[in-house]
Amino acid sequence: MDMQSVWQWFVAPLQYEFMVKAVVVSAMVGLVCAVLSCYMTLKGWALMGDAVSHAVMPGVVLAYILNIPFAIGAFVFGLSSVLAIGFIKSKTRIKEDTVIGLVFTGFFALGLVLVSKSPSNIDLQHILFGNVLGIPDRDIVQTAIVSLITLAIILVLRKDLLLFCFDPTHARSIGLNVTALNYTFLTLLSLTIVAALQTVGIILVVAMLVTPGAVGYLLSDRFDHMTWIAIASGVFSSVVGTYISYHIDGSTGGCIVVLQTLLFVIAMIFAPKHGLLVRSSKRLNESP
Amino acid sequence: MKSISIDVENLTVAYNGKVALHEATVQLSSSSISGLVGMNGSGKSTLFKAIMGFITPRSGRVLINGLPVRHVQKQSLIAYVPQSEEVDWNFPVSVSDVVMMGRYGYMNLLRIPRTRDRRIVAESLARVQMTEFKDRQIGELSGGQKKRAFLARALAQQGKILLLDEPFTGVDVKTEKAMVDLLIELRDQGHTILISTHDLASIETFCDQVVLVNKTILAYGSTADVFTEENLTRTFGGVMPHQLRKQN
Repeated sequence: MDMQSVWQWFVAPLQYEFMVKAVVVSAMVGLVCAVLSCYMTLKGWALMGDAVSHAVMPGVVLAYILNIPFAIGAFVFGLSSVLAIGFIKSKTRIKEDTVIGLVFTGFFALGLVLVSKSPSNIDLQHILFGNVLGIPDRDIVQTAIVSLITLAIILVLRKDLLLFCFDPTHARSIGLNVTALNYTFLTLLSLTIVAALQTVGIILVVAMLVTPGAVGYLLSDRFDHMTWIAIASGVFSSVVGTYISYHIDGSTGGCIVVLQTLLFVIAMIFAPKHGLLVRSSKRLNESP
Repeated sequence: MKSISIDVENLTVAYNGKVALHEATVQLSSSSISGLVGMNGSGKSTLFKAIMGFITPRSGRVLINGLPVRHVQKQSLIAYVPQSEEVDWNFPVSVSDVVMMGRYGYMNLLRIPRTRDRRIVAESLARVQMTEFKDRQIGELSGGQKKRAFLARALAQQGKILLLDEPFTGVDVKTEKAMVDLLIELRDQGHTILISTHDLASIETFCDQVVLVNKTILAYGSTADVFTEENLTRTFGGVMPHQLRKQN
């Protein structure tokens, strides 16, 4: 493939307005998700991410039925699921992973019932798998607002969030409000999921929330570097994945997440310090 | 007459209805090193957590320099050095990042370090001889270096009260000696130090006071008065580690 055809591959689709919008939105979503994913992987909250993303389903459906912004419906239900998980965990003897599994399937099932009985014509496919190539303008605005708010909060609280992930005991001992940080983090998670819904859909959001962070974590021992690597891999796979889906006429969310997973596999094998190749050669050197 | 830094009065702590500490009372004077001795599960960690204000007691109270713990935390007055097992050593932070976390309580919301913070971090690293390792990721340190890194964070926090949970486990003799010297130096500068340890043999060499724990505070006071064969037998319920005593 020469330079000319690479150029054409990227530029030709941009003659369509829907493609310009899709590329901009997916880049933005890739960025927000990548930043949050660094904290998610370090905190070990993948299951929580999966839970919240499924739990927003009834909120999205109700928003369509009531004709209010989808972001508001999704956010309300995302946050409710988090509060419900926290409440059940603290008030009963049931273990956290059971509570998470129980709450998110309950919310998701409610969403399914609502879709099936909804008078308006809601495309379940779009909610589950995203629809960035057909994203309406008002949804772009909502996604942009939510993304900006999320990024701003993370930027201000990044040191506190990192300390919360690393050593909540120390955070408490210097007088930080760890409970507030916990709920702020969960709110950020809900917001990020809302932002990513239109691009990859409910089912695949969790990939956006952990994979870039995992790539960064394998490639660096410094949190700053980890974040930049996560952003680079997140934005790259979002944008290039959108292009691939255009060219092969395939699922956009699917293409983005497959590409992201490929980046992870490459990092896992070839990472200079924590990669499988280096690890196995180290083991060979150590053995007599 | 020294003033009282840590004042625990009739403290009862229970988890899910199970009592971990029963009516514990202990007073630790300022500018002292106190050794906290007891078996695993005797309530040492619970006592630490209660002093740090992490758990709400069923009854009784904890005062630090005469104030409730919440006030004291806001002033970064108590520094806590956790057990190594509680730390995620793969976390992507360097030694100096960790020590800088000791300064967060003094910074504004964005936690942007100022010249003074950087200077104090550098000094704290130097005091525990960790300057050359400051850019290492924390998992790349030896057992002793890990302990020293967290001790440096406690120093950077500039709290007058230090709680150290098993700081000598997995530490070589040379490092332990250097850490003890540093603790003595800190005590002489007015710090109050509470340190839990399984190394009974070393207690008499640097602890001014001893606190014996077994579901309650069995005894506390000067090492000479309290650190007796009889008290230790009560502390360990008759299964005294004799070989340790013989080393004295």
